[in-house]
Amino acid sequence: MLTHALYIQLAGSAAAVAVLVGITAWANIARSAPPLDEDRARKLLADEFPGRTLDGLWVAVDGMGAIAKCGGMALVLCRLGDGYVARQVPWGQALAASLKDGRVIINLDDVAAPRAVIALAKWPPKGPASNNLGKDRAA
Amino acid sequence: MKPGFDPVTLATPFFILTVLLEIALARLNLIKSRYETKDTAVSLTMGLVSTLAGLPLAAVIAAVGLWAYQHRLVTIPADAWWAWVAVFLLEDVTYYGFHRLSHERRFWWASHVNHHSSQHYNLGTALRQTWTGQVAGTWLLWVPLMWLGFPPWMVAIEKGISLVYQYWVHTEAIRRLPKPIEAVFNTPSHHRVHHARNPRYLDRNYAGILIIWDRMFGTFQAELDEEPCRYGLVHNLGTFNVLRVAFHEWIGIVRDTVRQPRHVLGWLFGPPGWSPDGSRDTSASLKAQWAAGQSAPPTSTDQEAAA
Repeated sequence: MLTHALYIQLAGSAAAVAVLVGITAWANIARSAPPLDEDRARKLLADEFPGRTLDGLWVAVDGMGAIAKCGGMALVLCRLGDGYVARQVPWGQALAASLKDGRVIINLDDVAAPRAVIALAKWPPKGPASNNLGKDRAA
Repeated sequence: MKPGFDPVTLATPFFILTVLLEIALARLNLIKSRYETKDTAVSLTMGLVSTLAGLPLAAVIAAVGLWAYQHRLVTIPADAWWAWVAVFLLEDVTYYGFHRLSHERRFWWASHVNHHSSQHYNLGTALRQTWTGQVAGTWLLWVPLMWLGFPPWMVAIEKGISLVYQYWVHTEAIRRLPKPIEAVFNTPSHHRVHHARNPRYLDRNYAGILIIWDRMFGTFQAELDEEPCRYGLVHNLGTFNVLRVAFHEWIGIVRDTVRQPRHVLGWLFGPPGWSPDGSRDTSASLKAQWAAGQSAPPTSTDQEAAA
């Protein structure tokens, strides 16, 4: 049962959490996370999916994510905090994502990473993806 | 069961002050440490709620411990120095077993995964504790110590000491300690490896206080300067929602089991990443892929780069 002392302890801890989060925000000591360019997107994708060959790459206009075609799969990279999260989904699933207000929202079908939001000038790419490399790339 | 003397409760002000200190020193560029605001909020919230999450089953766990002690094999005197040495060693090897189980079988990984879900490694990460550990039942692993004859309060104190010890190793601010210490104790360097997602570092260094168990049971991996640790999960979380952080693997188990109920045992007790068709990544498959890449003959591109 919750005792009076426990309530006090919890209230104190909650206040400490709030103060620490505030100080973290003020300290501004997150990792440097410059917008992605093609080279950095390729490096991150190579770390996440070693040995994969990319048929096409589309980097977000704001540098906060990227989509790559790799055979029948889409490799999706999106920013979270000062890091990146990667998932792969069937290419058709990525193609089915619609572009609204300059953002493609891809359903990742994963409770741990429900969706990726990638800012692109246009989507889906036209023609064979391998021919679009460097053309549809929006960055 | 919480004894009157609870090391974790006593250490809580120390936790808060040292997180503050790490942030301040990092802000002044005196140490290497990174804190991201939302990530820190998730870690600290997980820690705060975890203190409540243990309450519903606390009475059951205490009762089981007392029952085991009432049926003990021998009576171990708590005022004997050797009893404290013995409980320290036995508790620490029990922790090793618990921790290894928590990484190598999905049911227990579902509870432990959130501790590894930050892409950062700092003292705040240490406080990113599970909400479902008691439901997962791993507390049963400590019951044999009480059945053996250690008073439940003695085991509880030792568990608390172990938890407090493990707090300070969650930092990048301390590189390496003197070799004799690195040889015997779990250190920041050893535990960085444990939190790394690099394939060669996966499922290594399960130690609580003593690293000797990893050396004895073949799970030790030294931190290598040529391979910096990349922290987090093999598939990192794409959200800062604490409910998803706390429960995503449990939900994944339920979804998989509903989808393919005849594989329920594999979904529950296979290694994390197990699937009937082998289409997902396990630590073993990732390590094998990595090892194959290491032993593959250099490609022409590699040779050109080397030249």
